[in-house]
Amino acid sequence: MTPEETRILIDRLDESLTGNRNAGLDRLLEENPEASREWHYLNLAIEAVREKGLYEMVSTVKAGWHAEQASTGLRVAAAAKTSKPAGGVIHLLYKKYGLRAAAIVLIITSSAFLYKYLSISSQSLYNRYYSSYDLNTSRGEGDEQPIVKAYDAKDWSAVLSLAAAAKNKDNQGEFLSGMADLESKKYEDAISHFEQIVAVNAHAGTDYYQDEAEYYLAISWLAMGKVNEAMPILEKIRANAHHQYHEKVAKMSFFDLRLAQFKENK
Amino acid sequence: MKAEEKYTDVELIAAISAGKDLNDAIRSIYRQHSEAVSSFIIHYGGSEQDADDIFQETVVAFIDIVKKGKYRMEASIRTFLASIARNYWFNELKKRGRSGHRDRQFEMGRDQDEADVSQHMAELERKRQLRELVEQLGESCRKVLLLFYYENLSMKEIVNHLPYENEQVVRNKKYKCLQQLTGLIKANPAIARQMQETLK
Repeated sequence: MTPEETRILIDRLDESLTGNRNAGLDRLLEENPEASREWHYLNLAIEAVREKGLYEMVSTVKAGWHAEQASTGLRVAAAAKTSKPAGGVIHLLYKKYGLRAAAIVLIITSSAFLYKYLSISSQSLYNRYYSSYDLNTSRGEGDEQPIVKAYDAKDWSAVLSLAAAAKNKDNQGEFLSGMADLESKKYEDAISHFEQIVAVNAHAGTDYYQDEAEYYLAISWLAMGKVNEAMPILEKIRANAHHQYHEKVAKMSFFDLRLAQFKENK
Repeated sequence: MKAEEKYTDVELIAAISAGKDLNDAIRSIYRQHSEAVSSFIIHYGGSEQDADDIFQETVVAFIDIVKKGKYRMEASIRTFLASIARNYWFNELKKRGRSGHRDRQFEMGRDQDEADVSQHMAELERKRQLRELVEQLGESCRKVLLLFYYENLSMKEIVNHLPYENEQVVRNKKYKCLQQLTGLIKANPAIARQMQETLK
């Protein structure tokens, strides 16, 4: 398939969403097995995107529902606090102290939740979960590349200029640039570097610095105040026991993350 | 729109099939069924987080099945959801290598009149694999594809949502991203095998 033919297939696929027809292309799909295969793969790709869209939609509603549950608890506590006891003496005492105990538990729980809800933010989660990346170089100092030396020395501007000046761009330079930007609080630039690594790996079928890039990409999105962007990456890492950052992500509070996501979507 | 009140099974199926007010329908599923289904998962050894995750997968699967018109209402929605959740949890336990003892417990826990969802499970697993491939794309790619193919926004509307100069730039980006995703699908051995069998 030439790129032009693929483009025609994609155009047809997009047009088919609005009901347009193209008899010539129908014939091509019937007669050319390669075109037919490509057509199936493109359809699968769109099915994949729609599946992902639905998953994200359910994820967002779920976060809202959790928050709704918690706020219902808050209302019940307030109602219990103002309710008046009625009935016989024993029943009255039971009801009075039973309700009071329940109300106290609910008020404490709800207050804790309310405090959490008010204090939680993407930025607070970033502050909680961000830790610097350690290169862990084991070779002698003389063998280290200048960019590695600069990174170890926390000379962020040197890291960025060395990476920019490098003749052959590689994922390590890209990643260290991302980390230098992250340390310098230039979050958007950091995101560009980490996304570049993911794109290069996807294109080349490699995984050099893939896990690191994914994790710090999620952290950068948190720093940017965009939990919606961070969540799918963190969920993916949590679901993959072989991911280098799986344990770190598994220890994160997804309740807090979803709460921040709910606040973001409000 | 039925934001607060409960949906009957028939209303819920109608709302999902029509794709209208889907958010409310999903919220209703959570409100009406999540506790019962999640308690089952917890009863069979899952944590609250497991139950939360499994129920989310279950809701996605249920909506897929209903949208394709494959839910025939032979069992109530709750029974059907419970069956999907059971299958997911069963598979999850297998993946975690805890199948022996749990399998027996699981089998004992089945209802006599449980809905048979086994026919759907292979398809749901394939969809899950596809979804994971989308997660491998970069954020900008994911966004463009989701806005166009899931939110059904036009190129013009996407320009207003994303930092691209004009519609042509978005069109080129979408083309490259779709190509990238197709590449990931082709490189996935399980999906490629299924595809070859389909095309035989």
